[in-house]
Amino acid sequence: MMAGATYRDTPIPGTSVFTGARSRQGYRINKFSMSLTDPANRDAFKADEAGYMRRFGMTDAEIDLVRRRDWKGLVAAGGNIYVLIKVGGAVGENLLEMGARMRGETLDAFMSTRPGRQGVAVPRDH
Amino acid sequence: MARIVGGIGCSHAPSIAHSFDRGLQKDPMWKPLYDGFEPAKEWLDKLKPDLIVAVYNDHMNRFFFDAYPTFALGVADRHPQADEGWGKRDFPDLPGDADFSWHLAQSLVEDEFDPTICQEMTVDHGILSILPLLTDNRWPAPLVPLAANVIQHPLPTPKRFFHLGQAIRHAVEIYPKDLRVLVVATGGMSHQLHGDRFGFMNPEWDNEFLDKLESDPQALVALRHHDYMERGGAESVEMIMWLAMRSALGETVRRVHRHYYAPMLTGYGLIVFEGVDG
Repeated sequence: MMAGATYRDTPIPGTSVFTGARSRQGYRINKFSMSLTDPANRDAFKADEAGYMRRFGMTDAEIDLVRRRDWKGLVAAGGNIYVLIKVGGAVGENLLEMGARMRGETLDAFMSTRPGRQGVAVPRDH
Repeated sequence: MARIVGGIGCSHAPSIAHSFDRGLQKDPMWKPLYDGFEPAKEWLDKLKPDLIVAVYNDHMNRFFFDAYPTFALGVADRHPQADEGWGKRDFPDLPGDADFSWHLAQSLVEDEFDPTICQEMTVDHGILSILPLLTDNRWPAPLVPLAANVIQHPLPTPKRFFHLGQAIRHAVEIYPKDLRVLVVATGGMSHQLHGDRFGFMNPEWDNEFLDKLESDPQALVALRHHDYMERGGAESVEMIMWLAMRSALGETVRRVHRHYYAPMLTGYGLIVFEGVDG
């Protein structure tokens, strides 16, 4: 677990709390990701991913994480999942696919763990 | 004088918006969610509020970390939809109420809340994923968006949200127009969207939260952010926004409806209250 990745240093397994330290660390990644809310920027990114990301001052290592769709690595580098899903959207990967990849599982393997797929998701009204 | 006539707490999620837009209302996976909203929809249809105050969070669509407001109040007469990264949905802009919003700004600041005042406020799935499930109208009443930071720590405390709801109630009660106001809070319930714990849900905790929200909200106010994140996943901490809806209704509430369903990534909760304190 990396420094600043937990909330008041109380670790929650498998979890990175988005603290100020992480927001500072991931600022370039997150700024690039947020820019994809503009359709013209999405097109520019898709036309030249690395060139587009360099405009945001991203390091070669950060650009490489995006190139490899390494969402877990991007979170570890300070990326926030709520903006990373915009990158996922631009490259055609939805949140379920991103999550399975973060867990190191195939999409099918991950989906087989879901209550709705297992037939055990029961609505409750009390 | 204006008064609060009801409150709704419910989850928000991009997945809800996607299911709606793809017409999956009858799909076996999604039908229980939509069925669960029906009683709330009928209630709202009869209630016919004049105004909706919505406590929610933006997901880096209006705000970014260059300047991230802890609280932000939309004060325009119109709130356009944000493009979240995959194009806008086929909805008209949300109507607002600038007069009431500026009154709310004044009253909140007098009550020692200091929101960023936004004359341009695009809204995202924090509001628009669930509003179409609550009504067939586009849209049922002017809506005042009150966004909170529940993403970049440090976050406002649960107690702060409880006080925020009380301040909203006070602002409504001193507004000179005879408006009937609905307070909505969205977010959660249990989910974690990153890391090895991606996909974590905790229906038992979510339902305990719903129990306590109704009958013992102080037990929820007393919890730390860490408790919420541990029990419900890091991103579920946004559930604390529901406390603002609960406190806006006063000491005691009557539960009109409650529903919970957790099929995929997020515990989808829905609770509808009416105040009984007059």
